[in-house]
Amino acid sequence: MTPHAPIATRPGLPRWALGLTVFVFLVGAVYLGSNLSGTNPPIAGGPSASPGAGGGSAAALAIINQAGCKSCHGPDLGGVPPTFPDLHGLQGGPTVDNLKQLGQQHPKDWMNIWIAGKDPSVSDPAMRKGMPVFGGPPYNLTPQQIDTIVKYLLTLK
Amino acid sequence: MTRKLRPYDQPPRRKRTLIPSAPDSAAGLFLVVAILWLLAAAGLGILAAGARLFPDLLKVSFSVPLGSGIEVDITRTTIDPAFVDALVFGWLTNAAFGAICFMTPRLTGMRLASDRLANLGLAAWNLALAAGFALLYVKGASGLGSLAEFPLPVKGLALLGLLTVNGVFWRTLLPIRALPYISLLYFGIGLLALLGLFALSAIPGVISLGSTNDQLLWAFTARGIITYWVLGSTLGALYYVIPRVTRNPLYSGGLALLAFFGWLAFAGLSAIGALVDPSVPYVITSLGQAGTLLLLAPTFLALANLLATMSGRWSLTFSPGTIQFAVTGVAFLFVTAMLESVGALRGVQRLTAGTDWGLGVLVLGLLGGSTLAFYAFADHALPRILRRAGSEGFLVHGQLWTAFAGAALAGFAMIAGGLVQGSLLAEGGTPDKLNLTLLAFRSAAAGGLSLIALGGFALLVNVFLLYTEGRPVEYAVPPVDAASAAAAGR
Repeated sequence: MTPHAPIATRPGLPRWALGLTVFVFLVGAVYLGSNLSGTNPPIAGGPSASPGAGGGSAAALAIINQAGCKSCHGPDLGGVPPTFPDLHGLQGGPTVDNLKQLGQQHPKDWMNIWIAGKDPSVSDPAMRKGMPVFGGPPYNLTPQQIDTIVKYLLTLK
Repeated sequence: MTRKLRPYDQPPRRKRTLIPSAPDSAAGLFLVVAILWLLAAAGLGILAAGARLFPDLLKVSFSVPLGSGIEVDITRTTIDPAFVDALVFGWLTNAAFGAICFMTPRLTGMRLASDRLANLGLAAWNLALAAGFALLYVKGASGLGSLAEFPLPVKGLALLGLLTVNGVFWRTLLPIRALPYISLLYFGIGLLALLGLFALSAIPGVISLGSTNDQLLWAFTARGIITYWVLGSTLGALYYVIPRVTRNPLYSGGLALLAFFGWLAFAGLSAIGALVDPSVPYVITSLGQAGTLLLLAPTFLALANLLATMSGRWSLTFSPGTIQFAVTGVAFLFVTAMLESVGALRGVQRLTAGTDWGLGVLVLGLLGGSTLAFYAFADHALPRILRRAGSEGFLVHGQLWTAFAGAALAGFAMIAGGLVQGSLLAEGGTPDKLNLTLLAFRSAAAGGLSLIALGGFALLVNVFLLYTEGRPVEYAVPPVDAASAAAAGR
């Protein structure tokens, strides 16, 4: 039979504990007071925000960070015109001239084709103007990963 | 004249079962299974760190011609979640279940409601975990979301296991009809929270709430599982082990209750802080992040209470064993709580989003704080479960130092790497530059995780030696010192 062995507890509450609790409460209140308005970023972070995890901004941001998209298109993907286009507002189709025809021919998946870069219609280096072929080495992004990025980019307004 | 019996005349010797039957069979089994999961988790951790160092080398995809064809995919996508899942659900959860089965009868004076039912819970939970891990590597079979990747049928089996353990715990506790010892309060709330949050994370498998809402739900449940279940059960284990080994009464009952109620409120609020998306009102997310800041208070109060309980018995920290593990665990928990608070600040979040910072803090808390707390529990409980004299040999030293050095090295390397990564990304660093800069940090992280695997192996060998070579002994319950008991009003 397992013996009954209660653990004794001293009664009382030290005063410093109340003081510390009140102090931390105040810090929390000040933090909340200084963060009342603003806009949250798209859901990101977390331990399993890993590349290729399928749809979702966390996975997309992880792939974008790893593939180095921000090194040309900027930390907020706002672009560095005229060399590197802005990646916001692509819901209506391509915003740069060299991709407008591609957008008309493939209105639903023009971005997937462009990012992968393996289709003969978009593989010409002159047309790509330095845009890497992310579907090939050394990036080797899978169609699923590219789709994750595309879905994320379409949320940027 | 007596004739000496020949070997075949002798009555058969009574065989020792691997784990003694009643009354601690469930506790022992949970602990042994937990140690095996720790080894698996540490192995996966090394793979996760390796996948960051050599992303192409560790990317494996192949098809198995079974049925309509199964595509197995081994990449960071599957290694990272498997590491965290094995750590939280495999090692820490099984160890906490073991702690519950060991401590509840001792603290309540009631025999565990049903060891057999607890063993059924163990089987259901661990079968579900094993199936979940196998399916994680099958493309398209698993869901998404941190700590929520398992497909619905697997979650169903895991929920059955959770319900069973909850049932056993509450059936043992409820008949006492008095405020139980603080450890049991933490375990009770933690068990209910784990059950509820796990069930919540299964909702998108039944009805999809939309991609973003599903992810928000998973972020909320993952954070809740860490703050309610992992932190709660860790504190519960420490509240038992430290007074028991030092033979001092708990320093302050009022402080313990204040910390408990603070934890109860702010752990939930902290989970709301994981709801970071434009669709969530900014003020709600800020409130949750303030909750993470405030969670520092109850964590600190609980840890201070535990350290104050050691008063007069500090010499125990010089001898290897339970108290060394516990005190080191307390130190890791304090550092993790501080880093969690810093990480809740908006500016830090902007810098560290999508970097290794988050995983680093998690490693520090789970592999440092919680793992060392459960090492302390295992060191105290295993000799009592196996009824063998505990050892203070080099394996115990090895366990302590590998866990300490491993968790510190891996955690801080990932955190520092995350900060560097965030700064480079903000400056628009190229992938080549990033990989080159982070090489040293990631190598250190892989080294740290290897050390932890070594520590887990030392624990396993220690248990084996304890069972096979330990001197059989019956443990008496350590009496509370007369003076201490008088001071405690008992």
